[in-house]
Amino acid sequence: MVVVLEAFTYILIIAVLGLNALVSIYGIVYGRSLVKKLISLTILSDTVLVAVIFAGFYYAYPIVPPVYQDLAGAGREFLVKHASDPLPQALVLTGIVIGLAVNALIAFGIIQAYRLAKTTDARKVVEVLSGVEVTE
Amino acid sequence: MSRRIIILILLFTATLIASFTATIILNPATPSELKGLAKYYVLNTINETASPEAVTAIVWDYRGLDTIYETLVLYLAIVGGLAMFKMSEEALLKTRIGLTLLSKTSTKIVALLIASIAAAIVFHGHLSPGGGFPGGSAVAVASMIIIPVFAAGTLIEKGVSSTKLVAIRGAALTALGLVALLPVVKGLEIVTNQRFYPASILGLPISGSLSLYNLFESLAVASGFTAIALYLSIPEEAHKGGSGA
Repeated sequence: MVVVLEAFTYILIIAVLGLNALVSIYGIVYGRSLVKKLISLTILSDTVLVAVIFAGFYYAYPIVPPVYQDLAGAGREFLVKHASDPLPQALVLTGIVIGLAVNALIAFGIIQAYRLAKTTDARKVVEVLSGVEVTE
Repeated sequence: MSRRIIILILLFTATLIASFTATIILNPATPSELKGLAKYYVLNTINETASPEAVTAIVWDYRGLDTIYETLVLYLAIVGGLAMFKMSEEALLKTRIGLTLLSKTSTKIVALLIASIAAAIVFHGHLSPGGGFPGGSAVAVASMIIIPVFAAGTLIEKGVSSTKLVAIRGAALTALGLVALLPVVKGLEIVTNQRFYPASILGLPISGSLSLYNLFESLAVASGFTAIALYLSIPEEAHKGGSGA
């Protein structure tokens, strides 16, 4: 029973991550407001980061951070059996900061577009800034 | 209920049912042990990088060059954002009224607490979970609560200008590059750690270049995000009367 439950949770997390990515991509493509597009983009990037963390997941109890507690041989054996995967953590750590910087850049762009066009509607911004009428 | 909520509920139900059927049909074996690469990192980081913390070792030693280029991306993104605004600080000087005395006092205490925690994260980054990126982000959180409470104009009067912040950022990035480039003088590869830098100084474990990288990276991240927060705190009224778009 426990094994089935473990497998079910494992698959459920993958499915929910996929659903999350789907909804956020819908938001990016069909959202009208540039701010809502940016929010969807952050949700998508966070989903991807959670997926990267999830790639290093395995069932163990207790889980400890990948840090040496003591340098004796027994500590090593314990660490190999119970440490969380350090590689996804390292990738996500930098990914979060880069994502934050890129999001800030996009936010600057959206604010500037709002100041020029007095709207954040993606189609109207294009109309005001370029003079070309956007048709569906 | 609107159509959107019904569609969302349907999607969630479909996800639940799909994963349930997938469990029954596929019956996958869930991972129960650490991957081989992760095992290598966990076992060898203390010998190869003199740091007991595998994450910092990967970030600044095993994949050090990667991280340095990521820092460059971060730098360019922030510089690009600031260049897009081209604000004069006269517009910021108009916003001088902060919040009440009560919130100012409590913010002082909270900001001090956050800053001390950030210092602990940075300076212990090579020994315990933490490092340059999280520590710098924590400092940025402190400045992000200080800016609305004390008002951006007051801070600029006190001498915290975005030019200075970008200068700190550039200096930190230069120092980071120097730490990475210094081993080349002795004919070693770029971003060499243990063959060039000492593992400890005066009995303090510094894990070679890892603590230096953490320090400079935290400075760069903190000043960069503080500059962003300062620029984003310009109210629209001040902008309209200011230097123009």
